[in-house]
Amino acid sequence: MLSDAEAAELLAFLTPSTRPDVKGKATKYILGLSGSRDGCRFLRSKPDLLAALFALTSDPSVAIVKDCYHILINLSADETLHQVLVCEVQVLPVLLKNLQDPEFLFSDQISTVLSNLSRHDKTCRTVFQVLQEELGLAQLVEIFCNESFNRKARLHYLGPLLSNLTQLPEARSLLMDRDRCVIQRLLPFTQYEASVVRRGGVIGTLRNCCFDHAHHAWLLSDAVDVLPFLLLPLAGPEELTEEENEGLPVDLQYLPEDKQREADPDIRKMLLETLLLLTATKAGRLTLRQKNVYPIVRELHRWEKDVHVGAACEKLVQVLIGDEPQHGMENLMEVDIPQDVEDKLREEDAKEQQELQEEERRRREEEK
Amino acid sequence: MASTDVQDDSDDGMDAFMDKFKSQRYKNAFTDDNWEEEFNKIPMFMKTSPEEIDPKKYPELACLQSIIHDEDRSPEEQAKSLKDEGNAFFKEKNYKYAVVAYTAALNKKCGDQELNAVLLTNRAASHFHLGNMRSALNDAAAAKKIKPDHLKALVRGAQCCVELRNFSGAIQWCDEGLKSYPTDNKLIELRASADKHKRAAERDARKAKAKEKKLHGEKEALLGAIKERGIKLLQSIRSRPEGSDSEDEDERPSAGIAQLSLDSLTPVEVTGAQVFLDEQGSLHWPVLFLYPEHQQSDFISAFCENNSFTDHLSVMFGEELPPWDTDRKYHPQNLQLYFEDEEKETLYQIDPEMSLFKTLQHKRFFVKAGTPSFMVLVKDSQFCKQFLSGKKIHGLSTRIHDMKK
Repeated sequence: MLSDAEAAELLAFLTPSTRPDVKGKATKYILGLSGSRDGCRFLRSKPDLLAALFALTSDPSVAIVKDCYHILINLSADETLHQVLVCEVQVLPVLLKNLQDPEFLFSDQISTVLSNLSRHDKTCRTVFQVLQEELGLAQLVEIFCNESFNRKARLHYLGPLLSNLTQLPEARSLLMDRDRCVIQRLLPFTQYEASVVRRGGVIGTLRNCCFDHAHHAWLLSDAVDVLPFLLLPLAGPEELTEEENEGLPVDLQYLPEDKQREADPDIRKMLLETLLLLTATKAGRLTLRQKNVYPIVRELHRWEKDVHVGAACEKLVQVLIGDEPQHGMENLMEVDIPQDVEDKLREEDAKEQQELQEEERRRREEEK
Repeated sequence: MASTDVQDDSDDGMDAFMDKFKSQRYKNAFTDDNWEEEFNKIPMFMKTSPEEIDPKKYPELACLQSIIHDEDRSPEEQAKSLKDEGNAFFKEKNYKYAVVAYTAALNKKCGDQELNAVLLTNRAASHFHLGNMRSALNDAAAAKKIKPDHLKALVRGAQCCVELRNFSGAIQWCDEGLKSYPTDNKLIELRASADKHKRAAERDARKAKAKEKKLHGEKEALLGAIKERGIKLLQSIRSRPEGSDSEDEDERPSAGIAQLSLDSLTPVEVTGAQVFLDEQGSLHWPVLFLYPEHQQSDFISAFCENNSFTDHLSVMFGEELPPWDTDRKYHPQNLQLYFEDEEKETLYQIDPEMSLFKTLQHKRFFVKAGTPSFMVLVKDSQFCKQFLSGKKIHGLSTRIHDMKK
């Protein structure tokens, strides 16, 4: 690693007045450095270097700016640098300002940095705060959903950013503002074929929102109608009976025989978990039964190869076809679970996970 | 000075004019007959405004009109008074006149873009109420172009799109509106309703497609079953019933089974009966029995191919003979069956014990108009001999002979 004197020398090259070719060499070198864990940790100890680098993101040379953004992506991938970047270098206001510029060349890189920085609770809060000061969550959704907002960037990584932000209750309540059309905008992207990142981000966001059971009735009502958007990616080309079709939400009726399921098992699992969350309240369970969710999950289960997704199907079906819980325990999210029962359940859960992993291993071997 | 003179003069004249009536009667007075009509000509007492303002007929009204539409005033002022006129018509739900007024206002081409946007939006509203959705949409779009955040134009545009069943368009209009008015209830509601309609329309399209596919599959299966049995259908496009040719025009089966087009399965008579394949894979045909002696016929809507003619004849003639059989001779055991090969003008006799399946496979049997038909004659009857004389007949024995070959 560099000595302090060498680092100081390097820092001297990172000024706007340095000759472009020398500056370019310096940023290239740091880009290489940021590719390794040790390099990142070294840079963490040199906030003035980071600040100089960040200042170069407004350099007139596009190549240098690009390097700087890639360095930022690398640095933000390491959780231990989040505090330095957010508090000392204060990258957020500049990043968020540039993000709003429809001509900005590196908005995709900014999206990635932001989604990295918001991954952990502590910096996530800071990201959210600065976001609210700079443009607001609703505006961020607007930019994300308008695919022609910036012709030079696709902004898919704003999806994971939204998913991270909605870990915070404040972000969730803004997203589910009943006087505005915010979460509704995200729904069509549960089937966005062009990017698994965008799809996953949106579905993660929806799952986070479903942790608030107070919003379930609204999410399932006509005002949002979240259910078809969660079910469609799970539905396949299998022909259902006329009766089953008629009972489904309209978007799921009479699907064509070339209908494709969500290709990513993790996203399928996330969708099933979201549906399971929606069964926490009695009204939610009734709606899911009424809207004929069962045949969709049944066909998915029949088709599913991934053991974890298969297990998630089974859990959902158990709630759908099971008896209603006794009076006073209708809201599954509010049921008091005694410590000993909880311990036991956790134990069983761990055991189940283990079994599933074994099953997975076994299946893989069979395939070989 | 001069003016006072004139004033005096006119007053004098007035006095003289009034004095005249001391000696003679006023001639132009309203009479019992015409007072209502005359009152209607005076703007203040008018109950309805005339369709066209003729200065000769309605001088007072024409004066007022010219004050309102004074050509000397600026285009902005003229456009504004025309707008007020349009608004008044609109309030009275006289949308046609409102459109005329707004159009006149727009034709003033005034420089006030705000006013023009309002005029276009108002004309869009009038067109909307008249049901001219295209014109309404065009006006709303033009208004939006001038003033992108004109809420009324945005709402109207979305409404027009809904009426035109362009639901994606409606959602787009709403989204544009929600950019400027993110909490506008009307826009949010319209968007939700357009979205719902759009999805229902998409479902309907999918459902129709699925249905068509299923129907097509059934047709293919039916044609396949007919082909597999070696049954020949007589293509008779001419005899196709009128009016049924529109639907199936583009559904001709592929070249391989072209001669098995379903058109030839549609019976000429509108009996509604058509050959069908049951779940066991047996065909059921509509079958016509003809009795040339009495010019009578029987129609069996679904004759299972596995049944023989005797099966049906014994039911039809077994217990009770038909009323037209005055000679009481149509007993099942006396009946002979023939089918006609029109091309060779030959009658082929068939064995009543044979199944329909076998009969239809006869190399000279052609199913005409989707309905196999058979002639029934009474063996050795006078009519039978007369009917068959002079015709080419393939008797039963010949046919057996044929089969031996």
